[in-house]
Amino acid sequence: MDYYLQQLVNGICLGGMYALMSVGYSLVYSIMNFSNFAHGGVIMVGAYVGFFALTALKVPFWIAFLLCGLGSGLLAIIIERLVYSPLRKRHAPSLYFIISAMGASIFLENFVIATIDGTPRNYPTLFSNNITIGSVSLGLDSLLMIIVSAVSLLVLIFIIQKTKIGLAIRACSYNEKAGTLMGINASMVIFTVFLMGGVLAGFAGMLYGMRFIVKPTIGQVTNKSFVAAVFGGLGSLPGAILGSLLLGIMEIFVASINSNLRDLFVYALLILVLIFKPSGLMGKVVEDKA
Amino acid sequence: MSKDIIIKHHDPDVMLSLWHVTKRFGGLTAVGDVSFRIKKGEIYALIGPNGAGKTTIFNLITGVYALSEGRIIFNDGVVLGQGEHIIKDDVRETEVRPEHKKPYDIMSRGIARTFQNIRLFKSETVFNNVLTACHSGADYNIFQTLWRFKAGPKWLSKYAHQEEALRQKTEELLKIMGIWEYRDMIAVNLPYGQQRKLEIARALATDPKLLLLDEPAAGMNPEETMALMSLIREIRDRFDLTVLIIEHHMDLVMNVSDRIFVLNFGKPLAEGTPEEIQKNPEVIEAYLGKEEDADGHA
Amino acid sequence: MSWYYIEGILIQSCYTLLIVLGLSILTGYTGMFSFGHAGFVCIGAYVSVICTMALGLPFWLALLIAGLTSMALGTALGKITLGLKGDYFCIATLGVGEAIRLIFNNLNISINVGGTPFVLDGAKGIASIPLKTTFPVALVIVVVFLTATALLMNSKHGRNMLAVREDELAAQMSGINTFRSKMLAMSMSCLFAGIAGGMMAHYFGYLQPKMFLMTKSTEYTIMVIFGGMGSITGSVLGTVLLCALPELLRAVGDWRLVFYGLAVIIIMIVRPKGLMGGKELRLGVLFRKIAGLFSGKNNPPPDQKPPAPEEVSA
Repeated sequence: MDYYLQQLVNGICLGGMYALMSVGYSLVYSIMNFSNFAHGGVIMVGAYVGFFALTALKVPFWIAFLLCGLGSGLLAIIIERLVYSPLRKRHAPSLYFIISAMGASIFLENFVIATIDGTPRNYPTLFSNNITIGSVSLGLDSLLMIIVSAVSLLVLIFIIQKTKIGLAIRACSYNEKAGTLMGINASMVIFTVFLMGGVLAGFAGMLYGMRFIVKPTIGQVTNKSFVAAVFGGLGSLPGAILGSLLLGIMEIFVASINSNLRDLFVYALLILVLIFKPSGLMGKVVEDKA
Repeated sequence: MSKDIIIKHHDPDVMLSLWHVTKRFGGLTAVGDVSFRIKKGEIYALIGPNGAGKTTIFNLITGVYALSEGRIIFNDGVVLGQGEHIIKDDVRETEVRPEHKKPYDIMSRGIARTFQNIRLFKSETVFNNVLTACHSGADYNIFQTLWRFKAGPKWLSKYAHQEEALRQKTEELLKIMGIWEYRDMIAVNLPYGQQRKLEIARALATDPKLLLLDEPAAGMNPEETMALMSLIREIRDRFDLTVLIIEHHMDLVMNVSDRIFVLNFGKPLAEGTPEEIQKNPEVIEAYLGKEEDADGHA
Repeated sequence: MSWYYIEGILIQSCYTLLIVLGLSILTGYTGMFSFGHAGFVCIGAYVSVICTMALGLPFWLALLIAGLTSMALGTALGKITLGLKGDYFCIATLGVGEAIRLIFNNLNISINVGGTPFVLDGAKGIASIPLKTTFPVALVIVVVFLTATALLMNSKHGRNMLAVREDELAAQMSGINTFRSKMLAMSMSCLFAGIAGGMMAHYFGYLQPKMFLMTKSTEYTIMVIFGGMGSITGSVLGTVLLCALPELLRAVGDWRLVFYGLAVIIIMIVRPKGLMGGKELRLGVLFRKIAGLFSGKNNPPPDQKPPAPEEVSA
């Protein structure tokens, strides 16, 4: 029993990190209707910002953490301005967006390999203490991961649900054209969405680096968070969070049975979801507009 | 499940009938309880202010959207809608389960349309745009594309014969629409008015019986609009068509159409001949008056 | 450079071209994006090797079975996802591409075939595969498929695919069964990938799942985009160029892919139709151009267009 409880906590920990990543995919999909595969690169850069802030600048943890969010948020906006915005102005088909996103992700990954190098790096140990609650032992870093994920996601939900720009985002996700007609500044909405997705990606990158490792090909992990977004229902924010948590927990349990199968399980789950419920747990089915 | 009853559907003179058609998006009713019948050979116009639900009706007829309520009944007995119902006419009583058909399925039953915001195959030539729409006239399979000569047994030389027929038909259509000289231009580079014509040519290529035109004169100057008017009549007579047209140019609607249906905020407002509509006080208030002030058409 | 070295590049170009050709049908013509094409190449490679090594079938039959297996899988995937709106097809290719590789990563087979052992050992893969893919064989296969593709694309089936890419709704409204067009594109694309996988396995002589990472899929797509979407000659140029370039640009090393990524973005913004701009390079036109260079101004310009009328504002 204790063993399972321990695994559950580990799963929530992993799922929380996926959630930080997957909301970025989901937010962009809900507004612009394409899967932003450059998001993986943004997360990876976030992880590197955190690494160098801690090792080269030797700043305290909290500052490094904020720098990650800032760096990734900025990068996400730059990508939107330079890569997507020209396509948006031309009303290019979504195929072009996906290809450009792929180009951006190749660029980021290999730019890091070319300028830094491809070797995996370890974050300096920040928190080595363990907290034991009942029979569950929890590393301080794991506890931090859960708290950071929960707080960031709550702030995000607050912004989406309670602020004016959040209302605009919700309106645009329902129908961008109608939203624009109602006097909503679509550029502003897109800017905000990329900024928020980017900042959370930076946080996620840092958490990932602390827990695992920093390397240019983190993108393969972020693909899993994309699977989580599909699992929860692409374009749905609560769906992305729920999907991430469930995926994290299931992945940990599969790994505890046979660690070789954890990746295969994730992609098999993706295929099963697409076969049986492509709209995911909480996704909406959208009708094509003529 | 409750069964709706439609009485006297089977009227051979009716091309298309809408029966209590309703479409809701979330909480918004885009089209509410619209019914009309279009007779064979008629030019029927659908008018109304922006956002009145005209294009939504086109999307319902062509199967882009699924109906929320009501029925759309085609001349050949195909019925779109939700739930079961009984069709009754003088001769027989049939129980029909309506289906949500895929758009191409509906189109291949003799309906063609143009779009409000022109949707051509942008980066292809004018010729290929129309040629692509002619494809129902060819049934060669992928292996038959490998033999390009007219010589040989019929099963082998299908490609050459059928392709030639398609090209002839395309040429004919482009000439009728007066855009033959642009045939090698990339569609998106065409002047606006010619793009509209190309879209009509592409629609005609599918051999329709019913043609849906969504604001065909939008963006045209008065002379072009006049020319378009006579062109619409000409193709109606030439191809034995029934035409359903959405239009903002009042001159065009009043001159070209046999009957007019007025929509206002998704709800039916009036139906009648151009003379009747012009005299209808409700219509004048809701639509014509404002429109006259707004952009000067009258 | 020795002939051996050049031949290697040529064979690689041949089977890569076959993959890119298939991807060109899918992405360039039909406008669908695949993240997992390497997975279909992977299936073809493994199936063909199992056919030749474990079952003792002849090479050509093994290639055929490899292609058909990959095609069956692709068709099934298309059947499930192509009816859905949105990015679901693209997402599914991501899942399937990775899943195939991971399955072979975890698969262990060890049997004895007539005295010689056949070992498929997970991540270590398969070794000492008979080298059957010679340059003439590869060339013949690729020329046959190239011709067939060119003929098919220049027919109603190819034009339907282009219409789907240009505007799916308008294509449906023109009576085109867009689902069927997409299915055809997907099936053909996977058939090509499977056969190419078989050629690849019997050229290298060994197989490992890590040869089929997702980056490989994106590299194939880059070749299609470089050459130009909707152009077969463009795909040929793109493939040959990008297959030879890394060999020539060894010095640039890590920066190569940085440039590729950047180039993809710039192409999408500036010239989304790629190198060939959706046009085909025709031998006739080429000859006329070359002849024009020698004979001066007597030749008419090869592509005559009607005088473009002035743009009428809306």
